[in-house]
Amino acid sequence: MKRNSILILSLVVILAFAFSLSSYAQDDPIKIGAVNPLGDITGDQSTKAMELAVKEINDKGGLLGRPVELIVVDSEFKPEKGAAAIDKLATVDEVDFFVGGMSSGVHMAQIPSLKKYKKITIWAGAASYLAEEAIGPDADWYFHLHPWDYQQGESYGIGWSDIAEAREEVEIGKVFLAYEEGGFGTASFESYEVLADQAEEGEGPYADILSDFEGGSFKSAALGGGEYRALLRRAKEFNPDLFIWAGYGADAIPLLAQSREVGFEPPLYVGAPPGWPADFEANPLSDKVVLYGMWAPALKEVSEVAEHFWDEYIKMHQERPATYFAPLGYTNIMYLAKAIEDAGTLEKEVLIESLENTEYDSPMGTTLKIAPSNVIKHQGFTRQKILQYQDGKQNVIWPFEVATAEIEYPFSW
Amino acid sequence: MSFSLNKSYKILLLLVIFIVIIGFWNPNALLDGLQRGSLYSLIALPLALVLGILGVLNLAHGEFLTVGLYFIFMLNTRFNLDPLVAIIPTVIFLLILGAIIYWLTIKRVVKEGHLSQLLLTFGISLILIETINIFWTSMARNVYTSYSYASMEIGSFRFGTYELLYILIAVLVLVGLQLFLKKTRLGQATFAVGQNPKGAKIVGINVNYVYLFVFSVAVAILGIVAGTMLPRTAIFPEVGSPFTLKSFALAAMAGMGNLNGILFAGVTLGIGEAVINSIPNYGGWSDIVFFGVLIIVIISRSYRGAR
Repeated sequence: MKRNSILILSLVVILAFAFSLSSYAQDDPIKIGAVNPLGDITGDQSTKAMELAVKEINDKGGLLGRPVELIVVDSEFKPEKGAAAIDKLATVDEVDFFVGGMSSGVHMAQIPSLKKYKKITIWAGAASYLAEEAIGPDADWYFHLHPWDYQQGESYGIGWSDIAEAREEVEIGKVFLAYEEGGFGTASFESYEVLADQAEEGEGPYADILSDFEGGSFKSAALGGGEYRALLRRAKEFNPDLFIWAGYGADAIPLLAQSREVGFEPPLYVGAPPGWPADFEANPLSDKVVLYGMWAPALKEVSEVAEHFWDEYIKMHQERPATYFAPLGYTNIMYLAKAIEDAGTLEKEVLIESLENTEYDSPMGTTLKIAPSNVIKHQGFTRQKILQYQDGKQNVIWPFEVATAEIEYPFSW
Repeated sequence: MSFSLNKSYKILLLLVIFIVIIGFWNPNALLDGLQRGSLYSLIALPLALVLGILGVLNLAHGEFLTVGLYFIFMLNTRFNLDPLVAIIPTVIFLLILGAIIYWLTIKRVVKEGHLSQLLLTFGISLILIETINIFWTSMARNVYTSYSYASMEIGSFRFGTYELLYILIAVLVLVGLQLFLKKTRLGQATFAVGQNPKGAKIVGINVNYVYLFVFSVAVAILGIVAGTMLPRTAIFPEVGSPFTLKSFALAAMAGMGNLNGILFAGVTLGIGEAVINSIPNYGGWSDIVFFGVLIIVIISRSYRGAR
């Protein structure tokens, strides 16, 4: 009798322990490790958008019955910190997934660590083809959302061709590129040179529109420069149909001001910095300036998801999303969450397949679908958008299916 | 603070010849260079003053300019104050800030070696940059004033008029400083402290007060620069940093304590930079030329000194 009692008691204890273990596993959060430069507005707003996405997921009961936890590490825009962040997230926090981040330079340093852990990674930023080559074709666990640099160049070509076709008066024959002399601007110039060479041979996205291309470098105001007049006089002499500058946000106003000063008034004035100055649209000089980007606040007028994101982000953080890295950060988490829900498991192979097949209607105004790019298997967005500042507002002018306004042409002071 | 007349005439003559040649060859480069060079001089003058009187190497010089720019930006966005009008409160604010920073920190390293000064002022510059980053983030910002984009046309020669203000203000600040140093009692005391602090102390000059005054005034002058610059530039936490190096370069080229030389050096380097910028595809060489000219001047001066 006594023996039976001990046996039953032992069984009860074992069952209770097993039950507690299983319920612990049920409550154990799914950990998502994010690496962003928190001191910069891109990283700050991307992280805030990720927090919004995680909050919305947890408010609906989490994923697979488990809560979701976001663990964020600051890369400080430094390659060594970005790489260390991956190691910390993998070994100390033991995250299930990696998400983030921005800057190709930082990402290049992270890639060896990512390859070491081979966890499913959904990377929002980093556009350099060098990062794509460093990842290589075999990394089936790697998903990249931001268009690569060559895809961006291609999409602008397609966009301008479409616009020139739709609006007869718009000409893109002569293009002048003013680029900052550092790595960012030089890479832009080199990619345009390739596109111009292709166009000369009747190939590529600019084949039907580009007849003449010239470029010149300047020292960015962000790096102690800020004197553009000599270059702008050269551009004025060239008389381009489309003038484009590839520099930093700090160059935007001085470049426009000096253009006006030297009487340079190209029909299309395009800026392609990674980020624009705060309240740039409030500056009268911004009117009719064209820009490239993945997102504009105006998208909320044509997309329900974009409207939802806009409203909820403001409600949660009491500030407006000011950079496309905000909706991109939201997309980063939501896309992963949708794929996990579709897969019904965290098992790596099944989840990779689910990520390959998941389509997510994103606040970027377009649906995120995965397809191979030049090197990697899993590329997300492939096109940028052409936007224009019009009366203090950023409007989408291409792709036409999400356009919020027609292009105002020509540019004038 | 010395300036030999014979030597200055020679330099002036060479500068005039240089300007005339550039003016005939490329008038745009000449005007761009004069404007840019005057701005460099204007920023370098207070640094040269501190270097000449206190002997302090101030690595936070550019960051004091940044603080002035953000202060004016704040006055403009909050109270709609025009940047040029905002110079007055900014000068007062920077004067007080300079005095506080001197009392709290700089005072302790004036008699120490240059390494302590460099480490301290480097620390101050980092604190200022990060503080600005916390309040305004790293995003570039700007103010809009319609007058700062005005231009004039004389025949086919078109040029911006606003930056001519840099030339005027650089000359005014230089003349003001020279008059102060030579015509006022405090200025003469400052001059004496700069030449021989121990001797000045013996004759009853309060050296600490002079140091405090000079450092505060030097920081305050940056308020004038900030108000003049802001309508034409975007601001971000590191906007002033590159000017520290350029200011040191100008001070080195002009010679220790030579305020007039700062203006000549600034104009020469500014025009040199503009000339390089105007040669297609050689814009990237402007820094090399800037510092190349500087090295040549320093070497030739040391060669003359050795003779």
